[in-house]
Amino acid sequence: MSAEDGADVERSTLTLAERVGSGGQGDVHAVTGGPLLFKEYKEPSKANGTALADLVALRQGLGGTDRGRLDDLAAWPLCRVVEGGRAVGFLMRRAPANLTWRTASGATKLLELQYLIRPPKAAWQDVVQPDPDQRRALALACVEAVAWFHGAGLVIGDISQANVLWSLSPGPTVHFLDCDGFRRVGRPAVQAQAATPDWSDPLAPSTDATVDTDAYKTALVAGRVVAQEPYVLPGQDLQPVPGCLNDRQTTAVCALFAQAAGERGTRPRPGEWQTALGDRDVITLTAATPRPRPSVDHTVLDGPRDRTTIRLRGPVE
Amino acid sequence: MQLLPFYMVCDESGSMAGPEGVGTINAALPDLHHEISTNPSVADKTRFALIGFSTQATVLQPLADLSELTQLPALSAGGVTSFGAVFRLLKDTIEQDVTALKAEGHDVYRPVVFFLSDGIPTDDGWQAALKDLNSFRYAPKIIAFGISDADAATITEVANFKAFLQRDQSVSPALALREFASSLTRSIVSSATSMAAQGGDGFQLQVDEQVPGFTSLSLDKL
Repeated sequence: MSAEDGADVERSTLTLAERVGSGGQGDVHAVTGGPLLFKEYKEPSKANGTALADLVALRQGLGGTDRGRLDDLAAWPLCRVVEGGRAVGFLMRRAPANLTWRTASGATKLLELQYLIRPPKAAWQDVVQPDPDQRRALALACVEAVAWFHGAGLVIGDISQANVLWSLSPGPTVHFLDCDGFRRVGRPAVQAQAATPDWSDPLAPSTDATVDTDAYKTALVAGRVVAQEPYVLPGQDLQPVPGCLNDRQTTAVCALFAQAAGERGTRPRPGEWQTALGDRDVITLTAATPRPRPSVDHTVLDGPRDRTTIRLRGPVE
Repeated sequence: MQLLPFYMVCDESGSMAGPEGVGTINAALPDLHHEISTNPSVADKTRFALIGFSTQATVLQPLADLSELTQLPALSAGGVTSFGAVFRLLKDTIEQDVTALKAEGHDVYRPVVFFLSDGIPTDDGWQAALKDLNSFRYAPKIIAFGISDADAATITEVANFKAFLQRDQSVSPALALREFASSLTRSIVSSATSMAAQGGDGFQLQVDEQVPGFTSLSLDKL
């Protein structure tokens, strides 16, 4: 089964292997004989099958290059799984091996953002940490991914330490999970979902997901990655890891991080983060100044005027 | 940081001897440690202590961040089953631990006790000790598990949050003990995942409604 054409798959045709994860909304099982995973909702009646179909259709509507980019960036819903005409879950690809790590006891775990945003501990020393420049490149990859999703007309919603994966091989890259939490701008989500604690916008209800809440969470990701500090918030002092950012980048990143504490609608957009974290210098432009107004000769324009009266028609006789 | 302390409290009386008893819990503890310590966002917000009790009660592992530990003292069976001793020790230990965490600047949630016994208490006066534990300012939430000879009335009396009794003899004590440890692991992970590090709206203690191999007992006491 490829699920590549996006067509609905009947639940009864799936043979499930081991369970690979469990969350509030559903369980994730491997599908026998392939790289696919099945997320099965615990309460399908609460899942919006149309919204899920929208996400599947979005991928189908992309050209080859963009579809490849989406598949690199996200474990996207490839097709819905239905039972009795109702969507009960969806199929997605398993995260590739470069997005996992092996613990000392031999278990395989996902390389979640949580291992990137805090100082390492012995218990997970087998996670290879990035050098300072790779750390900047990973932060940049995160904000580029958000920019790409927004450009595709999507809102991400729950951006957090658990549903963004990262890798240094072959190069710094990120990969989003739990993509049924994404939605088209202005459309309902597949299921109402609360933001992850420590990853919520303080100015919005935790179930809100808009371009603006994404902007706040983008600041959390960028700031926490460059500072290696899992709980730092906009409005607090941001201290990037030494060697991670040059002077220009430090100034720009700290300014954007502070700006994210502002009102809704004023948070920095992903594109601004791309410029701040990018390795290109910026050119300061001279703002154009308006042409000086000609001086006004009031003796000509405001001279004496001859004001006459207008004769109006009288009442009809 | 807002912290949630967990106390694993295990009966290590003589009847728990052997690989089917304390040996099973000793074998399950590395899994619990592995699961929590490799999940730093969970380890950050939780603390873990191990207490064994028989004739006396002993703090085997003082309250700690599991990701800081490289070994744990093993449970070792012998003696009788003094509930009073463990409830008194719990009260004193929790008092000291919460005071110390607060002094370090942490906010501390009400501690959680996962209590396991395989028998009935051999001491008098344990109810008074339990009452003291339940009425002091840092009174913990107690989830009680009974296996083998434990009786439902005693386990529901000890519990104030949830109670579970080994289903019947078709389930081995070893399996039940593994499930006890797994249930504690799941509770730590899912509770910490629903908790903010700072501020936030509080959180819900997450404990399995059903644990494989156990019957869930009602705590609706009259």
